[in-house]
Amino acid sequence: MKRSAMYASIFQAGLILALGVGAGPAVSATTSRNASIEELLFAPPQVPPAIHRDHTATVVIRLRTEEKEMTLADGVRYDFWTFNGTVPGPLMRVRQGDTVELHLSNDAHSHMAHNIDLHAVMGPGGGAAATVTPPGQESVFRFKAMLPGIYVYHCATAPVPMHIANGMYGMILVEPPEGLPKVDHEYYVMQGDFYTTGENHAPGLQSFDMQKLLAEQPTYVLFNGREGSLIGDGALHSKVGDSVRLFVGDGGPNLSSNFHVIGQIFDDVNVEGGSLINHNVQTTVIPPGGASMIKLTTLVPGTYLMVDHAITRAFMKGALGQLVVSGAAQPQLYQRVNAPAAHAEEMQMKTNDPMSIGKRVFTQICSACHQGNGMGLPGAFPPLAMSDYLNSSPKRAIGIVLHGLHGKITVNNTGYESQMPVFGGQLSDEEIAGVLTYVLNSFGNQGGTVTAAEVKAERAKAAP
Amino acid sequence: MYKYLLALCALCLSLPLVVSGAPLPPDSVYRLPPLMLVDQQGQSFALDSLAGQPRLIGMFYGSCHMVCPLEIDTVKKIQQQIVRAGGKPIPVLLVSFDSRHDQLSDLRQLAREHHITAPLFQLTRVTQGDVGLLGGVLGISWRALPDGGFVHNAVLTLLDDQGRILARQDAQNPPQAEFIQAILAQQNSAR
Amino acid sequence: MRALCWLWVLLLSSAAMAGASYVALPGGRFVSALAGNRGQAQALTIAPFAMRVEPVTIAEFEQFLARNPYWARDRIPQLLASADYLKDWASPLRAGAALPASAPVTQVSWFAARAYCASEDAHLPSWYQWEYAAAADTRRADARDDDARNQMILSATLQSTGHAPGPVEQDPANVYGLHNLAGLVWEWVDDYGAMFPRPDARDPGQGNSLALCGGSALAFHDRGQYALMMRVAILSTLKPSDSTASLGFRCVRTIGE
Repeated sequence: MKRSAMYASIFQAGLILALGVGAGPAVSATTSRNASIEELLFAPPQVPPAIHRDHTATVVIRLRTEEKEMTLADGVRYDFWTFNGTVPGPLMRVRQGDTVELHLSNDAHSHMAHNIDLHAVMGPGGGAAATVTPPGQESVFRFKAMLPGIYVYHCATAPVPMHIANGMYGMILVEPPEGLPKVDHEYYVMQGDFYTTGENHAPGLQSFDMQKLLAEQPTYVLFNGREGSLIGDGALHSKVGDSVRLFVGDGGPNLSSNFHVIGQIFDDVNVEGGSLINHNVQTTVIPPGGASMIKLTTLVPGTYLMVDHAITRAFMKGALGQLVVSGAAQPQLYQRVNAPAAHAEEMQMKTNDPMSIGKRVFTQICSACHQGNGMGLPGAFPPLAMSDYLNSSPKRAIGIVLHGLHGKITVNNTGYESQMPVFGGQLSDEEIAGVLTYVLNSFGNQGGTVTAAEVKAERAKAAP
Repeated sequence: MYKYLLALCALCLSLPLVVSGAPLPPDSVYRLPPLMLVDQQGQSFALDSLAGQPRLIGMFYGSCHMVCPLEIDTVKKIQQQIVRAGGKPIPVLLVSFDSRHDQLSDLRQLAREHHITAPLFQLTRVTQGDVGLLGGVLGISWRALPDGGFVHNAVLTLLDDQGRILARQDAQNPPQAEFIQAILAQQNSAR
Repeated sequence: MRALCWLWVLLLSSAAMAGASYVALPGGRFVSALAGNRGQAQALTIAPFAMRVEPVTIAEFEQFLARNPYWARDRIPQLLASADYLKDWASPLRAGAALPASAPVTQVSWFAARAYCASEDAHLPSWYQWEYAAAADTRRADARDDDARNQMILSATLQSTGHAPGPVEQDPANVYGLHNLAGLVWEWVDDYGAMFPRPDARDPGQGNSLALCGGSALAFHDRGQYALMMRVAILSTLKPSDSTASLGFRCVRTIGE
């Protein structure tokens, strides 16, 4: 009897495979309309394309939790806990009324169990109860996306603040049946606060710090899990006249985001990520565990900074990103008429030659310690003028400007044991190449050039 | 008589994996390392000697005054429902996880109090082997409290004649329809 | 009583089988970080016991398997181990060159850990025994009030993320002479399944509220013990047949039984 039961189920399984309906628990209809769709997932800030579907479907989403060491900031490493290896995890995109079948697998070499709570779920724990997954195992659950909106998801395994602080958050977009208004660009940004034992920019592998978490005093406040992730090569792009939709969320664990794009006004903001739309907004508050959809139109070319407008976080803790808009100038919208201090900026925009760039950077930044004449400060800051240390290895100087320097060095027979800060996050490759070229050809030094390509290559190497 | 039984048990121990000529299935509870039990009537036997008919199995401890009487009561109700549905009473094995305190006399006492008779309904204690292994495979766990009691759960498990786990129910709940059905199905298929 | 303890230590060390060494712990009054049923602090009395100085190593487990091949991964009954059991070993009885012999053995199920301890006339510690032993640092029997020490344990635990465990005994011993109670591996305990019993749970750890959201916050009255919360969280998700690459074990022996 048992044997025949076994044969019966083998036969059934074979039948199912032959029909190509799939081996999962029954979605009873077998027409192609109701066949399940495999969700495509992308690394942030990219998002899946808009949905063009006039019916609901079962969407299969596969996530994998992974604990991995990655860069937190220049020269700083951190043990992140992630969905799919990125912070934030990928943005999921489904349609209202879809049934989502979520597969959560936990990498075998994880130390912790993980699970997921999606704010788009109506059900216990938002899915957390059904998805507790020990290392090496997989859990599966299904939920119906009942209501449209942009929602946060995160790991909800105890201790929850730590799982979130280590990077386990992301977003899920539930489109209304009619879809979202068409835009030219869509991007995904998520803010998070990070708590490290070392202070801001202390180099090397940093540990999560419990006391700072309890005091809610982060060392870093970042977009997309890494300082500078949306700067330079990582900047978001648009063109004059284009519309941009930003899916902006806040994983926390503790701090709200006061999201502002310097030089832009938001046309539409989905208040708290819901269905209420506000217009003409300068700065919108996104709570931890919350998200919003922001539509803006880029009208004037230039580089626009995305910030948390609790501004210390932007300029001192890393909550800074760039939206670069290309295209023809629009003097009718924005025109400089008479700006006394503008010559420096003009040099930046009009002059590409390294010496001009270098002189500006030196004057604005380096001279503060190395002095305007490059002579340094005895006992404190080494000279750049006629420096044997510099002239013997100009290329070494690239690494020093990028990654900072501690420890004792000897310059012109004098020992210095100060700390040179990290400038890699603040200065572009062109600026570093420019300032080094400038210094090498000034102050009685022996000449030479440093190119932006050389700086870029050095930047790609890990910090010492 | 006792020595004869002991010899028989030793024989049983030396052949743990063979039941009526066929090897036990890979997921059989009877594949556990040998566990020697003694019931309320002083009968000694190995756990795996119980292969050959479907059985209900659960765990208890003797000084338990709330959950365990409830468990015994649930077993009796299950038997009644089976019989009413045309089946026959199913053999039951309850194993104490408190071998330290539950002696043979305690088993006898409990059996008398609850009108439990072996071999159909056996209250047992472990004399050799690790009772924790049995708890682990049955999903039963316990933790000793300072006052000598335990924090524990109580689950009744249906084993088929080869020791495979077929169904479970919380022993503190009234008999569940699916569980009764599973028992009846086992009895029907055996015919 | 103390004399008895020391006598026991002497007996144990002179009878050191397979190089396993145990040290005696005096026990006594101990307040667990885990809350009682009503969220209150639980004061317990821990009876004296002896604990293995370090987790069981790969080399020791190989010796155990050689004597008890029932527990090798190609023979172990399905109910006692999942497919992950000793998955990274080169062969059923040998770990292979890639795994250091002096590293703690991991990818072992609760059942296998029990059997190993039984083979040494020992058993898995209870959660309270483990917690009590781990409350000590190099200087004090109970160092749990020290924020810096708590952070250090947390950092040590987190720094091992993503890496296979290194050899045992690399950290300084605590006041009892025990190693590796923080940061190297998670460790099985005897009664983890009953730490948060749900009568209708099918398997220990299934549907367990402690793994979720506020669970640990409710179950811990001492919320500064983050590393302990992490231990409890991982244990509460596991079935006894499960194993993970970061989960090992050590054994204890009862004194004066």
